[in-house]
Amino acid sequence: MMGTKSEGFFSFGSITNRGAALFASSRQNVSIAPLITFRIVFGLLMFLSLIRFWYRGWITSVYVTPQFHFTYMGFEWVHPLGDLGMHLLFLTIIIAALLITLGLFYRIATVIFFIGFTYVELLDVTTYLNHYYFITLVAFLMIWLPANRDYSLDVLLQPEKRRKLVPAWTIGILRFQMAIVYIFAGLAKLDPDWLLDAQPMRTWLPAKTHLPIVGVFMYKTWVAYLFSWFGAVYDLFIVFFLINRKTRPYAYGVVVIFHIATAIFFPGIGMFPYVMIACSLIFFSGEFHERLQRFFPFYDHSVDETTYRFKYTPSVLIAIYIFLQLVIPLRFLLYPGHLFWHEEGYRFSWRVMLMEKAGSAYFTVKDKAHTIEVNNAEFLTPLQEKMMCTQPDLILKYAHHLAATYKTRGLVSPQVYGEIYVSLNGERSKLFIDTTANLAAEPVSWKHYNWVLPYSKQDK
Amino acid sequence: MFKSGHVKKIIFVLAVAVFCACSKSSDKGGETPDAFDKTAMLTNYADNLIIPGYTALQQKLQVLQTASDAFLAAPTIATQATLKTAYIDAQLQYERITSFHFGPAEVVLLDVFANFSGNLNYNFNTAGELTGFSIDSVNIEKNISTGTYNLATMDRASFYSQGFPALNYLYFGPNAIAKFGTNTAARVKYVKDVVTRLKGLTDGIITSWGTYRAEFISNTKTNSGSPIANMVNQMAYQMDLLKGPRTGWPFGKQSNGIVFATKVEAYFTGNSVALAVENINALKKTYTGGGSGKGLSDYLVALNKTQLNTDVLTQFDLVSTKLSAIPDPLSTSLTTQAAAVEAAYKEIQKLLTLLKTDVASATAVQISYVDNDGD
Repeated sequence: MMGTKSEGFFSFGSITNRGAALFASSRQNVSIAPLITFRIVFGLLMFLSLIRFWYRGWITSVYVTPQFHFTYMGFEWVHPLGDLGMHLLFLTIIIAALLITLGLFYRIATVIFFIGFTYVELLDVTTYLNHYYFITLVAFLMIWLPANRDYSLDVLLQPEKRRKLVPAWTIGILRFQMAIVYIFAGLAKLDPDWLLDAQPMRTWLPAKTHLPIVGVFMYKTWVAYLFSWFGAVYDLFIVFFLINRKTRPYAYGVVVIFHIATAIFFPGIGMFPYVMIACSLIFFSGEFHERLQRFFPFYDHSVDETTYRFKYTPSVLIAIYIFLQLVIPLRFLLYPGHLFWHEEGYRFSWRVMLMEKAGSAYFTVKDKAHTIEVNNAEFLTPLQEKMMCTQPDLILKYAHHLAATYKTRGLVSPQVYGEIYVSLNGERSKLFIDTTANLAAEPVSWKHYNWVLPYSKQDK
Repeated sequence: MFKSGHVKKIIFVLAVAVFCACSKSSDKGGETPDAFDKTAMLTNYADNLIIPGYTALQQKLQVLQTASDAFLAAPTIATQATLKTAYIDAQLQYERITSFHFGPAEVVLLDVFANFSGNLNYNFNTAGELTGFSIDSVNIEKNISTGTYNLATMDRASFYSQGFPALNYLYFGPNAIAKFGTNTAARVKYVKDVVTRLKGLTDGIITSWGTYRAEFISNTKTNSGSPIANMVNQMAYQMDLLKGPRTGWPFGKQSNGIVFATKVEAYFTGNSVALAVENINALKKTYTGGGSGKGLSDYLVALNKTQLNTDVLTQFDLVSTKLSAIPDPLSTSLTTQAAAVEAAYKEIQKLLTLLKTDVASATAVQISYVDNDGD
């Protein structure tokens, strides 16, 4: 059996009769090398990111200090584990990340990493970041991929487990995941605010005049347009240039520059640029990765054609996964109203750095004998309050929490009213929700929230 | 070995990018002027508002110390009257520097040790609990009688037993003069310690600004912890204090209308409204950069937010007017002038919203007293 040069279903090879060819090529066997690099780099990056998170004191400030957490619908049972517990959990995930890199007890390590990381992410909606979601998805995929079958401690301990070839879909699925991130991020930018008004770049860039060389241009409107349009084009098309063998090295150079630039301009996005730079390596060929790995210490140069075989290829499950990845980011289409305003279907859709939104929220709790104004700082951290003010589902969750809390303080069936002002993409703040709606009586659901006032664009 | 074709291509792209970046910088040179000079703005703040503000506080605390020593040497109605002027003067000056609580002032936690506002994360609903601008007279008396205390202690009892609140009680509290009749030496020592500490903190801040100034004016970033973000955040925070501990909470907003008259700022001198008016006027001065043309308001205009800037300025004046309409002492007005307090409260909330939402958003500053990743 020969290792084919085809690179799975993301090659430009067979545009005709794509369906059949795609299915067939995904079952062909290719070099395991891209998976190996991916495993090492991903594990290392997670290891460093988690240590950074710990070092900055965020475990405590985000998961220990808050007395109330915004849980995800259906995951209300997920609770923080206390100071010691949270740190132990992070320690466990950090060790798991290291084991993934080393390829030691790989299957167990990936399962622990996936469960641990996902558990942490489910604790509080206000900490949601697209790249955390991406990490969760990749961690899930890695459980099923044989990324430890070469250049790993598992193979060192059990040499008979070494495999040089893997089914092409094991690499293709990771490329698919990358493509989803980029292309949906690009599609999200095909938006009037982004393209025609250059928002939020126009708001954010004047804050970047401190940068050397480019700083002086940051007040220029055309620069905001350049950033917006370049960002949109980059996100939409970079994947295709990464897939194409001829353009790939240039494209990767652009990936590095683009993400380093975003890291310099927007340090607040944290690890996201590095995650994308590292994970984009998956687009390189098996040949490239094999040559790369020759530089690794203790690399075993011996070549054989052992092939990793799944007992059965989970075609149906892969198809379902792909379908979900294609559909979940599009669920916003089911909702009426302006997406940025209502944010129904906004999360899990690769909308990164897409809008500038800020708000102020004042709540009043009432019953027949009481009218009490809520002090948000009593219940929420500044970060939580900031996120809650602009996101309807969080406003509702918080209002329900207030109703429950004030019930224990002696109010009879407390009603909760919000006076909330939100500013979107540089516009003036406007009243966000119906001040006469008793939020305590409004149900949390997937349905459109009618108590959020409709958006109206106004002159600036 | 490693066939480096790919690597060469990647490096080629990187090299082209670096070349472009460099050539761009050389052909434009200085011909494109900055639309707004943030360093000039920060220099204006440091040299015309912040450092002079702290220096004035230092001077007024010096006057206070002198008057305090005279009062302690001979506690009479006459020395107390002189002291009162000096005390009020010093605290009014303190209100003028509240939006500059970052950098050196944050290092020494001036706001908790000089004029503790109780923090925002407390429920203002229990009379017995020390919240807002309470004064812990029990702990103060205990400190005096035992003689063992450490004013650097980091707890709420300690914060409530020093700075302006403690002096307010010790100088002007019930039977203030008579109380110096017993355990005189210990009481005098405590007052002197409180004044010395307050002055020491201020002296230290002025010294630190000597070196911090360069860092301050050169950092034109707006991320969390940067000078611009610090000022915007402090203005928003002061507005939160004005809405909560300074007016709304003692007024009963959190407590179903139950008034906590003793929890107003500077209860025993009865000048809470004057302090609040000074506070809002100082915030406006911070916002405009002292009307020098080099303030945050001018930055907003440079960002084409002229209407927002006008609205903010109008709202500042409105808040000041509405606050001034409340007669001092606020502790009484909370009950007798409820409509005036309510009117001021409403306008405060509007200004808070403008600063926290519109201004912060327009200047790309995050209202969040911690840093964190976002996307």
